[in-house]
Amino acid sequence: MNKILRINMGDKNGPKAHEEPLGDYAGLGGRGMTSAIISMEVPPLCHPLGKDNKLVIAPGLLSGSHAAQSGRASVGCKSPLTGGIKEANVGGQGAQVLARLGYAAIVLEGKPRDDTLYKVIINKDGVKIVPDNSLKMMGNYDLIDKIKEEFGDTVACISIGPAGEMKMSAASVAFTDMEQRPTRHAGRGGVGAVMGAKCVKVIVLDDTDLPARSPKDPEKFKAANKVFVQGLKKHPITGEGLPSFGTNILTNIINEAGALPTHNFQTGRFDGAGNISGETQSEIMKARGGMVAHGCHKGCVIRCSGIYNDRDGNFFTKRPEYETVWAHGANCGIDDMDAVAELDRMDDDYGLDTIEMGATIGVAMEAGLARFGDAKAAISLLKEVGKGTPLGRILGNGAAVTGKVFGVEKVPVVKGQALPAYDPRSVQGIGVTYATSTMGADHTAGYAVTANVLNVGGSVDPLKPEGQVELSRNLQIATAAIDATGMCLFIAFAVLDQPETFEALVDMIGAFTGQNLTAGDVTELGKKILTFERDFNSRAGFTAKDDRLPDFFKADALPPHNVTFEVKDEDLDQVYNW
Amino acid sequence: MKHEQDNNIPINLVLTVDPDQIQLFSILLRQGFSLEIRMGSSVRDLLCQQIGVSADYLDQRIQTIFLNGKVVDDVNTAVIQQGSTLALSAAMPGLAGATLRRGGAYAAMRSQISHKNNTSGGSAENGTVIIKLFNLVAMELGPMFLEQGIRVNGKNMEFFFQKVPDLFWDGCRAAEIDGISRKVRDMALVEWKNRQVFLKLKIEK
Repeated sequence: MNKILRINMGDKNGPKAHEEPLGDYAGLGGRGMTSAIISMEVPPLCHPLGKDNKLVIAPGLLSGSHAAQSGRASVGCKSPLTGGIKEANVGGQGAQVLARLGYAAIVLEGKPRDDTLYKVIINKDGVKIVPDNSLKMMGNYDLIDKIKEEFGDTVACISIGPAGEMKMSAASVAFTDMEQRPTRHAGRGGVGAVMGAKCVKVIVLDDTDLPARSPKDPEKFKAANKVFVQGLKKHPITGEGLPSFGTNILTNIINEAGALPTHNFQTGRFDGAGNISGETQSEIMKARGGMVAHGCHKGCVIRCSGIYNDRDGNFFTKRPEYETVWAHGANCGIDDMDAVAELDRMDDDYGLDTIEMGATIGVAMEAGLARFGDAKAAISLLKEVGKGTPLGRILGNGAAVTGKVFGVEKVPVVKGQALPAYDPRSVQGIGVTYATSTMGADHTAGYAVTANVLNVGGSVDPLKPEGQVELSRNLQIATAAIDATGMCLFIAFAVLDQPETFEALVDMIGAFTGQNLTAGDVTELGKKILTFERDFNSRAGFTAKDDRLPDFFKADALPPHNVTFEVKDEDLDQVYNW
Repeated sequence: MKHEQDNNIPINLVLTVDPDQIQLFSILLRQGFSLEIRMGSSVRDLLCQQIGVSADYLDQRIQTIFLNGKVVDDVNTAVIQQGSTLALSAAMPGLAGATLRRGGAYAAMRSQISHKNNTSGGSAENGTVIIKLFNLVAMELGPMFLEQGIRVNGKNMEFFFQKVPDLFWDGCRAAEIDGISRKVRDMALVEWKNRQVFLKLKIEK
């Protein structure tokens, strides 16, 4: 992983690829790589769909090795949704295969001369860029079937659906999973629209004959990985909860806490939550012969994904995640698990962010386009997006645009990106992260690696409300660092609770890179990434006023606990003061 | 099929089931069931002294607790009152999950929905508490509660029998309503919804 592949889609002689050494980007991976390239090379005031924007796809530092959970990739660009910097994180096979091909990043740049659509094929022999207009407006599932016919069933694919081709701001980039299905998505921020603007439909990655990446100290790496895996397996969340119920294990709990945004954030409890909970979902999956515990990439031992079959026992979609179930379920008042699964499948096929689309349909329901709870209407609205009708084009550009077009006052977005599945009035520390994240409202921006473990920013009294800003800051720093490694964020729980698992992770990274990492190094990496991102956003015109939640979170008390968002603006402005 | 009884008196339903049928009752545990208990005791006292949950299990496994929808940090000082709803869960994933853990490092992030400790014991008379069991806790404590007997809403009981998969009927060996033996499959025909049901399982290998 010692080179960067750049593909200039706007070369006067047609798309042209060249490789270059890492140079200033040496030592970076995942989000560290994408944010560094975007920050240094993309003019912050450029149009996100224009020639100056770049789409960067980067595997994590450990991707392509035998390290467990190291299959995450980052997709970065200037976001068409937020207008700021974007890193969308994704599982699937892409990161592992890309890393084994030796690339620390693929950078798509320039503006194509016309609307010819291309597929890019990368293998040990090099790179081919082939025009293929037969792929136009093809859904991700049909596309991958066609790629499978041509290239076999072992390649990994990175692709866009019709939403990306139509350059919608909610468009995702799909990564195929272990079964070569396009179920894993770099969802947030409209990264698929940027890939569409570069006229690249699919990148086919073939690592045939290429070995796994070797650590600098194989014995130490192997030993640390073993301890790390044991730690994940013995922890109740990573070893039991997630494999049994997936991330949707959260639905009942968040609902009980009164923090499950329902009917476009009108209340914090949904009467139908039990029907779409992780427990119910697992019961349906088992009864239909689906698979409850399943990894999204090779080397995953947590296996929070799964196979959701239709009533006839045939594959329908992967297990819809908690955020998807919330967005298309509670947020829209829909308590039919099959309807939620259908919306998930459609999102994956069209290439759309499930969170943005669920939030958008919620806003559309608030506007009166459909009744809350009407699953058929929600499916019809999503079909409009797939077809690219005028209404679909509005919806496909996200909740903020939809709210503006239909005159909705209460639109749950920050920096133009929809809030995820936790109401910030109930869990105010998450509200701090939503407001101040460089990414727009993002639930993964601040994750559960404890400040105490990483020793980031000193200790915080957990019982003092004013600690929320400090906690959010520390979590955002830690998350940025983990995103750079290619590790799945779900490792955080075992790392949080088990010191030996944290030590094994640090040892594993050290043995792989040949460097003796300290917690301080991890902290500095996180700060460096956030500094790149914050600086880009500042130059793009973002100010403190963009680090705010919509007014209604301060004004409207959320049932059942009747709480409002109380963190002061001046406190929010302290998040990046370290 | 109507069951002629005073609606205020619960129907006593005893089902004899195979061990592998128990998990099918999880839905009733998630929806919530009521127990008659001694009021004014702490969460710890209720779970460990009155119900029989081991202290180790409470401390190590039940990491997420809600009392009337508010997050409980201290099981020694949160007091159960008449009509309280107590929800029990294992540790949860995600930042939100970490935030909701009792006494966790991120308690400050949800202080608005934290349970404020009420150390006053209040009445020591008997009363009713609603208990909800989720995820791993439902799987692990469910058999104990079901064998002891739980009081469930008839509407939930009716929903259960309507939605239960066919394999349930094969593994349900006997049914008794108020001490009278009934055909197992008739349970789906009984009009439960306007009644309270005291459900007890006999588990036979």
